[in-house]
Amino acid sequence: MASVNGFEPRIVAFLCRWCSYAGADLAGTSRLKYPPNIIPIRVPCSGRVDPQWVLEAFERGADGVFIGGCHPGDCHYVSGNYKTRRRVVLLKKLLPQLGIEPERLRLEWISATEGQRFAQVVTEFVRELKELGPIVAGGDALRVTRDGQVQIER
Amino acid sequence: MSSPTSLTETRHSSPVPRRDAKPKLAVYWTGSCGGCDVSFLEVGEAIVEVLSRVEIVFWPALVDAKRSDLEALPPGSIDVALINGVIRTEENAEMAKLLRAKSKYIVAYGACAHLGGVPSLADRWGKEEIFREVFGKGFRPGPPPGANGEAALPDLLDAAVPLEDVVRVDYVVPGCPPPAPLISRFFGALLGGEMPEPPHVFANVKALCEECQRVRHDDRRIERIVRPHEVLPDPETCLLEQGLICMGPVTRGGCNALCPAAGMPCTGCLGPTPEAGDPGTAMLSALASLVRFEDEGEEYFPKEDGVLEALADPLGTFYMYSFGRFRRKR
Ligand code: SF4
Ligand code: SF4
Repeated sequence: MASVNGFEPRIVAFLCRWCSYAGADLAGTSRLKYPPNIIPIRVPCSGRVDPQWVLEAFERGADGVFIGGCHPGDCHYVSGNYKTRRRVVLLKKLLPQLGIEPERLRLEWISATEGQRFAQVVTEFVRELKELGPIVAGGDALRVTRDGQVQIER
Repeated sequence: MSSPTSLTETRHSSPVPRRDAKPKLAVYWTGSCGGCDVSFLEVGEAIVEVLSRVEIVFWPALVDAKRSDLEALPPGSIDVALINGVIRTEENAEMAKLLRAKSKYIVAYGACAHLGGVPSLADRWGKEEIFREVFGKGFRPGPPPGANGEAALPDLLDAAVPLEDVVRVDYVVPGCPPPAPLISRFFGALLGGEMPEPPHVFANVKALCEECQRVRHDDRRIERIVRPHEVLPDPETCLLEQGLICMGPVTRGGCNALCPAAGMPCTGCLGPTPEAGDPGTAMLSALASLVRFEDEGEEYFPKEDGVLEALADPLGTFYMYSFGRFRRKR
């Protein structure tokens, strides 16, 4: 799908409080510029992100879902990020069956010191989502409308 | 209802007015394979007793009856109506509403009425797409050329939905089809005048694993995922540990772990436990936790991916009976 004119993707971002959330904070305090498309949600660990939240975000009209976790070996709870990684692998297999492009889900390792990297990754994700276009009704099995209403009538 | 002190009454309101009175029963199929209607025979000889203690007022699979017969009944005159099958057509929805009006209690019987069942996997696509795929371009279920509107087939609804999407459901007898122990549980309650307070699901709250006889080990992990036709599983060990995707951890017990006992992984026909909620995401999480090697870390990522890659059909595996209920929002 070609880029939609004036389309601003909405991204739900689950950020681990120990690393990615702090990284996002650092990007802010360092006055780094990145697109305002993300809605950050602070979670105690990326391993706390229930796959149901991811699907729910898409069902309610998110164009992208971002999960930020600690670098391998750095998880505050030892292995939460590894579990998340495997969940994301499975979710990316499931999403196309639901009519959702797997690229709309993105997992990144971002540490508390990587404000620069956070800004960069978000910028990149927004650009990619703009190319994908909005997650909307049509061939979409879930038929989600822009205002989050699920469309039954056609 | 008679006075609560009566010996034939239980603490809950019962659809059976008196223990010796025969409850009026209706059984109806909507978008169904017919298996649910046959499933009653699962209880064996007990079916003879059950049939002698109910009055069948409407059951198209067994007794000749027309919709007009049903329409002629006074409202609330049926004690219990068991409806099996998914709600797929306009007619399915009309009949469900008609039965609701004529019955004191509605029972969603079987996985399709309960959660959408296998037919609701079609909800991956819209109605139009299904028509295009099956009948080619331009097909509509209109009347045959020259005939009037009466002769038209009932139209498909936009989605195949569980019964609770069109009428209030009081009880659920789950399963694909419901297994004997749960059919007995239901009729035992009905004929014993001990129906629980609705809404109630006639299956366990606890997971299937609790009643499964297979041995589970501590610190279990999965180093491979296999499909039932690819292995002859060890007869003692938990199937999930052997790499077969068994929905036991997220599925209600009540069938005595019928499938794992026979060497087949549970596909989740009794529906998820209240704790699991969405069976698909719950099982996905469980699987993601189990798939790992002796240690974890970056060097294991490719190996883990290789294992997960072998899961052939996540949607069909995780939502075999529940797609209409869980992934298709109302
Ligand atoms: S075989 Fe299935 S039901 Fe039995 S313990 Fe293992 S996962 Fe649970
Ligand atoms: S083991 Fe699972 S699939 Fe088999 S009857 Fe029981 S709940 Fe249904």
